[in-house]
Amino acid sequence: MKQADLVQKMTEKAGLVQAVVSRIDSFDHALAYAVNLTREKSLNTLTAPGLNPEDISHLSALCQNVGLEFVSPPLRNHLRGIHTALTHVDWGIAETGSLVIYSDSEDLRIATMLCDIHVACLSASHIYPDSASLSTVLKDRMGAGPGYLSFITGTSRTADIERVLTIGVHGPLKLHILILEDHQP
Amino acid sequence: MIETPHTIQGYHDQIHKALQNRFLGTALGNFAMAYKGSRARAFEGLDLDRLRQEMARAKDQSLPRLMELYKSFKARAEAAGAVVHLAKTAQEANDIIAGIAAENQIRHIIKSKSMTAEETHLNDTLERNGYQVTETDLGEWIIQLRHEGPSHMVMPAIHLSRQQVGSLFSDVTGERLDLEDIERMVKVARKELREAFLTAGMGISGANFAVAETGTLGIMTNEGNGRLVTTLPGVHVALVGLEKLVPNLETALKILTILPKNATGQLITSYVTWITGSVECQANPDGKKKLHIVFLDNGRLQLARNPIFSEALRCIRCGACANVCPVYGKVGGHALGHVYIGAIGLILTYFYHGTDNTRAIVRNCLNCQACKSVCPVNINLPRLIKKVYRLVLDDDSEKPAKNILVNTVLKNRKLFHGMLKAAATAQKPLVKKSDGFIRHLPFILKKEHEFRSLPALAEHALRDLWPPIRYRLPNPVLRVALFAGCVVDFVSPEQALAFIKLMLKYNVQVDFPHNQTCCGLPAMMMAEEDTAAEIAAQNLEAMQPEKYDYVVTLCASCASHIKESYPRLIPPSAGLTRLHDRLIDFSSFLMNVLHVKPDQFEKSGIKIAYHSPCHLCRGLNVTREPRELLSTAGFTYTPCRDEDVCCGFGGSYSIEFPEISAAILNQKLDYVMETGAAVLVTDCPGCVLQLRGGMDKRGSRIQVRHIAEMVAKEMKLG
Repeated sequence: MKQADLVQKMTEKAGLVQAVVSRIDSFDHALAYAVNLTREKSLNTLTAPGLNPEDISHLSALCQNVGLEFVSPPLRNHLRGIHTALTHVDWGIAETGSLVIYSDSEDLRIATMLCDIHVACLSASHIYPDSASLSTVLKDRMGAGPGYLSFITGTSRTADIERVLTIGVHGPLKLHILILEDHQP
Repeated sequence: MIETPHTIQGYHDQIHKALQNRFLGTALGNFAMAYKGSRARAFEGLDLDRLRQEMARAKDQSLPRLMELYKSFKARAEAAGAVVHLAKTAQEANDIIAGIAAENQIRHIIKSKSMTAEETHLNDTLERNGYQVTETDLGEWIIQLRHEGPSHMVMPAIHLSRQQVGSLFSDVTGERLDLEDIERMVKVARKELREAFLTAGMGISGANFAVAETGTLGIMTNEGNGRLVTTLPGVHVALVGLEKLVPNLETALKILTILPKNATGQLITSYVTWITGSVECQANPDGKKKLHIVFLDNGRLQLARNPIFSEALRCIRCGACANVCPVYGKVGGHALGHVYIGAIGLILTYFYHGTDNTRAIVRNCLNCQACKSVCPVNINLPRLIKKVYRLVLDDDSEKPAKNILVNTVLKNRKLFHGMLKAAATAQKPLVKKSDGFIRHLPFILKKEHEFRSLPALAEHALRDLWPPIRYRLPNPVLRVALFAGCVVDFVSPEQALAFIKLMLKYNVQVDFPHNQTCCGLPAMMMAEEDTAAEIAAQNLEAMQPEKYDYVVTLCASCASHIKESYPRLIPPSAGLTRLHDRLIDFSSFLMNVLHVKPDQFEKSGIKIAYHSPCHLCRGLNVTREPRELLSTAGFTYTPCRDEDVCCGFGGSYSIEFPEISAAILNQKLDYVMETGAAVLVTDCPGCVLQLRGGMDKRGSRIQVRHIAEMVAKEMKLG
């Protein structure tokens, strides 16, 4: 499958499970997106584990400008106060609209589970057609020692009361996927 | 506490209560309907049969090497910092886990959903040891608060209404809740359980896979509680059945591809978590998670070596066998299982929870094959249920009277047929001549059996009518033997006469081998396999299949039993192969062998609804032919809801569980009446008996006919 088709399928399938998918052409847009979204929803705090130091300083400056609190690790000290989490995504699986995130870092896990809104940035060139085509990559990772790997597809959901689909039972209430067009073949 | 009746009497009481629960019936009915559609959509474009075969094969390859996989898993997981235990029994597993809690001075434990922990009654042990345990899956939390077991493997609280959950949550939180507002209830659970996540010292999970080549656990959840349980507390214990071991990631991914689609029609669950060893956890001084993985044997290793039952260990706990079970749809999981529910529950209960808990529930199977048709790992569930029934009979010294009767009578054709003839005479005062129904039920039946009118035995059985109508064609196009089956022979010989009329027209020579007897399915249904085998051998000898081009049956149940079970019951022979290959149902014979054409029939246009017999559509995989035959014969075929769902007959099932049989039948008849059809047609005389008796009971003008009768009626003469 061509990259454009993979992006399209990823967008379609993630949309079916209530993820909001947008395309961006630089990571700076992701920073601005997360900040704006947090303000729009009248939320106050933002964290971004796993970003490089340059992006972090850029993001915390953006937060400061608009009066948002940028929450710094270790996040175990902030379990009750994380509103938005911005993270990178390692791989995408188009067939199911799933995000694959290497979550060995505890901060990354806490952020993506306890936040209200998860903003996840996925490079278009990292989208695979299905889980089988990713299996060698995953297997190498799993064989390399202790690790915690997550497939995330849409938001936390339940249908345990009268089979009525209800979003956001334990994890994030909203998932925003930003597909970064990195123009690779 | 889960309490499953140990006696059939107690079981009837439980069933009675379940049938009176109107919410349950509606909820399960809606679910069954929605499930079929969403499952079909989820599998669109996938080669499901191939996937099922691959999964069954992969599971079968793993089962004999579970200990090898365990050792490989243990070595890799321990190299990555986990501690791996093997518990021989449920109690041992619970003790190991309680020990881990003690060693880490835990007070509060949070759990994500684990059927294996339900199997071992882990919460009871932990609570007895003074630990506070909080289930965090919403459904599990609800049933924990109600002190109940799950009523479905994937949706544990499906038996409860929003009002019941709302008042429960009001009681627990002290906050008055709107009893209609599910979203609000979920928010309440989020708030209550979030505190538990943040304060508990230990998390317990199950696992969907244990990948041997990397020592990795795979956990699927929709709510995200699995990730929280395995991340926030300093200690994580996973309790995993040994059969969850798979050799490699590829196998796990295959299961992941099929499980959620088959369970709920989802493409994938919201979260799939893969944990290898001990990862970062700042709740502990050394910054590392304490990970314990407890594998549970509890009879699995022995089961894996069992040539018949090892198949049951293929189960991946999708719950689909309950989703499509017509009995489950009426009584729910608490009345159709113990800890494990639905078809697989009737089997596993015996091995994990003993004879007493299995005795009554194992009899509650219609043998409609719906479960088998959706099982993602091709477990022959109806067959194994009967095999478990046999084990229960062997464990118990006292046998049900009907089993003794069947063993004595069915084996001896002359005795059996003599008794039927005597009964035909004895019933005369009870029969209303004009419609052939028995108007006063014989004393052996109770009030519950009055849900359908019972047909009288025919005054003259087919075998008595046969000698005068026997014919010899000079140059027939085909020679066939008719395997009539008991119902056609002794209750509805008119169905066979209709068939003969058609065959004369198509120049087909029909013989009725006199020594044929009951096909033996009733004996199989009562787990009397030895009797069934004897009968099979008698029929093979009687039918002499090598003398005929085809053996035709008007009874889907006889046909599927002969095709599927005879080769298992009696030794292979050329005759058996021929019987198996040349046995054909009525509709397939007309459409695929005689190639009947529309111009050979009148065009009545009569509006007809069709009931697809279980043993035809699932037993023989015949679905197209009867519907095409109806159109060919000039009728207007009118599709009906749930055409392929059982009518509730199941032979002696309808005598043993009349209350459930009636509920299933009534739903079917409601759907048929919605179509506005004048006639309901099916191609199994047992279904005709059930459906016609039900229609008569409700005074409906809709006629019920065997397809052969309707087709023969429309045949142009000359």
